[in-house]
Amino acid sequence: MSMVSTDDNRILVRKPTAAPSTEPAAPTFTVDGPIEGRRVGFRTDSAWRSWSLIADVWNGYLQRDGATTDTYETHGMIGDTGATDRAQIDKLAETVDFAIVGLGTCGSCTSFTIADSVAFEDHEKPVIAIVTEEFATHGHNVANHLGHGDLKVLVLPYPLEALPHEELLQIADDFYPKALELLGVTK
Amino acid sequence: MTAVLQQEQIEVPADPYDFYELSLEEQWGDGVPLIPPTDDYVQALIASTPYAGDHVVAILPPKQLVATVELIAINAAMAGVEPDALPLVIAALEALSAPEWNALGLTTTTSSVFPMLIVDGPGRDRFSIDYKASCMGGAAGRGSMTIGRAVALCLRNIGGQRAGDTTRSVFGQPARFGFCIGEWEERSPWPSLAERAGFSTDQDVVTVHGGKGTFPMADINNDDATDLVFLIAKSLAYPLSNLYLGGGENGEVVVAINPIWADRFKVPFPDVEDLQVFLQENAWQPLSSWPEANQEVFRKKGRVGKDDRMYLVERPDQIIPMVCGGLGSLHAIALPSFGESHIQSVAAQYAPR
Repeated sequence: MSMVSTDDNRILVRKPTAAPSTEPAAPTFTVDGPIEGRRVGFRTDSAWRSWSLIADVWNGYLQRDGATTDTYETHGMIGDTGATDRAQIDKLAETVDFAIVGLGTCGSCTSFTIADSVAFEDHEKPVIAIVTEEFATHGHNVANHLGHGDLKVLVLPYPLEALPHEELLQIADDFYPKALELLGVTK
Repeated sequence: MTAVLQQEQIEVPADPYDFYELSLEEQWGDGVPLIPPTDDYVQALIASTPYAGDHVVAILPPKQLVATVELIAINAAMAGVEPDALPLVIAALEALSAPEWNALGLTTTTSSVFPMLIVDGPGRDRFSIDYKASCMGGAAGRGSMTIGRAVALCLRNIGGQRAGDTTRSVFGQPARFGFCIGEWEERSPWPSLAERAGFSTDQDVVTVHGGKGTFPMADINNDDATDLVFLIAKSLAYPLSNLYLGGGENGEVVVAINPIWADRFKVPFPDVEDLQVFLQENAWQPLSSWPEANQEVFRKKGRVGKDDRMYLVERPDQIIPMVCGGLGSLHAIALPSFGESHIQSVAAQYAPR
């Protein structure tokens, strides 16, 4: 339906959308060596019990393979808790050799998983962000929007919450080698 | 002085219906017809501010793109904002860009949360911002409908917020079209939100709350004001509130109180701080209201308070009363919190007259 002919009835307006960023993606880093003797940072999130369990399993495997691990559990995005979390993540990024950061399995927690992963890349450390399948595209988008479009993202099945304990342990086993491969760990 | 516009100029149909169809195709809008952002209109909007068109107001998430005064004015034009009201849109965007508002989290979350704007000051009446009957929907004041909508369009077109894509909100909410109300300062027995934030009554101040929706409460059974406040407090502490997802130290709940109830509440609570203390002290549920497994989660997180009480928030200042609404009494509305967001207030800056 058209109320008037549009062929010669045009007006000029201003485009309402912002131009996309053209900044190149920040560099990423890989371990390029064995696990033994490395210090590994884990970022968990008090919101996600499934990820804490998987991270615990991976923690054990890394220690078995000769690494030392430091885990920091985040509790907030803002306020004193958020400020403490960001400061601790930054400190972790300074002290570890590489890091595993999760979990992105909601909108805002994926955004903060990616933002905290970026903190490790800013310290030129290898890092992988852990997100679930439903939030994988969102994770890549946020990484891209934060200027780290090449950030390595490991995608776990979705949903993880409310899965039986045994299934979560199986997922931890299945995805541990993939995590190491993505980080660039070699034998 | 007329602003020289920098944004790309494009040719569009002059016919309103065809322009509407184009806006849908280009995904510029919210599904409702838009007004074409012609140069005259955009320049009139910019002229109401003390800024040049290329002045950067904010970096808007999710895409972290630059919101200049000109781009904001273009989106405000499409929303139908009255030219002199652009400073209120800018103030809202400045407020939601404060780090403690957590725009990155709130624009990408699965939650329904969205910026809810509350305006104090002379601009409330000047721009027809609703604060009396049906102020949260239906009153149709131009300021309420267009200023909130302009902020929403800026988040879409500048920040790149798109449902199911860059924003993962599971349900969204009607306020995602835009939400802007005024405070009925003259009927409030307490200082306005703006005054409580340190502004004066002659300033136009926009307070931006990350609100999850409108949560209605009603009563006809209580004659005692304190009893009624007690029940409001209990109603705020519903078990699946976002504020029980975290530690309770972040986020605020806004409680919109109608003028008739405000007159009753001012007798036992002449100071708003005392009202806030009473609300916080009674906004809790017993831990036994939650299933056993959930209780275990709360215990592990250290969320359980004294005597197994589950307080909604840690501090009285996290429950924020304000007065608005019609004179029909009987109702209050809570604007529940996302949790990981702190309310922000910013004064509008106008061009010198």
